[in-house]
Amino acid sequence: MQQSEDQLRAWMTGGMDGDAAAHATLLRALVPMLRSFYRRRLAGAGDDIEDLVQETLIAVHTRRESYDRARPFVAWLYAIARYRMIDHLRRRRTTIPIESLDDILASEGFEDACAARIDVARLLSVLPSKQARAIRDTHIDGLSVAEAAEAADIGQSDVKVSVHRGMKALMGRIRGERA
Amino acid sequence: MNTDELIRTLSANVPPVRRHALGRRMALGLMAGSLVTLAIVAAWLGVRPDLPQAMHGFSFWMKWSYTASVGVIAVAATIRLARPEVRSVGWLWLLALPILLLAGVGLGELADNPARDWLAMWLGRSWLVCPWLVLSLSVPIFIGLLWSFRRLAPTRLRAAGAVAGLAAGAWAAMFYCLHCPEVSAIFVLTWYSLGIGLAAALGALIGPYFLRW
Repeated sequence: MQQSEDQLRAWMTGGMDGDAAAHATLLRALVPMLRSFYRRRLAGAGDDIEDLVQETLIAVHTRRESYDRARPFVAWLYAIARYRMIDHLRRRRTTIPIESLDDILASEGFEDACAARIDVARLLSVLPSKQARAIRDTHIDGLSVAEAAEAADIGQSDVKVSVHRGMKALMGRIRGERA
Repeated sequence: MNTDELIRTLSANVPPVRRHALGRRMALGLMAGSLVTLAIVAAWLGVRPDLPQAMHGFSFWMKWSYTASVGVIAVAATIRLARPEVRSVGWLWLLALPILLLAGVGLGELADNPARDWLAMWLGRSWLVCPWLVLSLSVPIFIGLLWSFRRLAPTRLRAAGAVAGLAAGAWAAMFYCLHCPEVSAIFVLTWYSLGIGLAAALGALIGPYFLRW
């Protein structure tokens, strides 16, 4: 449940006055807020979302001095969360190998490809994460079933079933959207 | 580490944050850097020998009020950009005020002197070194401000770097006044401003690398 601005700010200022319990309560209350903040913006990012949540909590803790008690807390929080997300995306971008970037840029229909990727990401985001990951691994990233099973630390049949169920759900959804 | 453990670890150490902690931290970085710059001016460049007499004159206070007003505005902008929320720093246009005032004084001086002296007034004796000295003297102050930023949360890194550079340049120029014997307003307007501007440009250039968190 999302706490009110006043409640969050009260915990924040309590923590800034040295009240460790208030600080802990605040951080715990922020976890669901941050999870949904990042989920809405980074569909299907999986483990990255929890990393981002943790990095943001650490920033909220270590950079408390940048909070002005007289100003809204939630705006401050989301400003930090947004910065962490942009930094995360920047870091990720730097790990894209140059060859594949060339391919993407050189190939015609770059925009279509981007749009398709966004559509796929959006579609996958509605699936349970296990199904989404199985589909992404086997159908987009081109892993074999065995590799995907090992990467996700689940059985091969589990991967196959997840792909099957996920695809079926997606087909149903696409039909539903068209109807 | 899972998120619950992380929260427990973080909450084990919750030192109180004093009111105006951000301003204090900024002041501390600024002062530490300023001390180093002052020491360099005193030990390496040397304080101008006629400083006590100069302090009774107009040109010393003209230089000092110009650099100090730029410095104060720049520090205020640096403090604003050390917070994560995006808020306007439109009042940076206030910087035009000291610049225009100084330009006015400069025009007055030009009007009072024959045109054949103008070039000498403009270049003084130190125009070749003045901007570079101001830029070099700004480095310790800039480092001090970088230290201040370590516990703060700038999100517009280039802008934050630029105003921190501007602040460092303006404060460095203020200490450089203790050494510099130049007297004309157009000299200050050109060469001091160039040095301060270089510091701001350098700050904008390296800000994104050094301010990242």
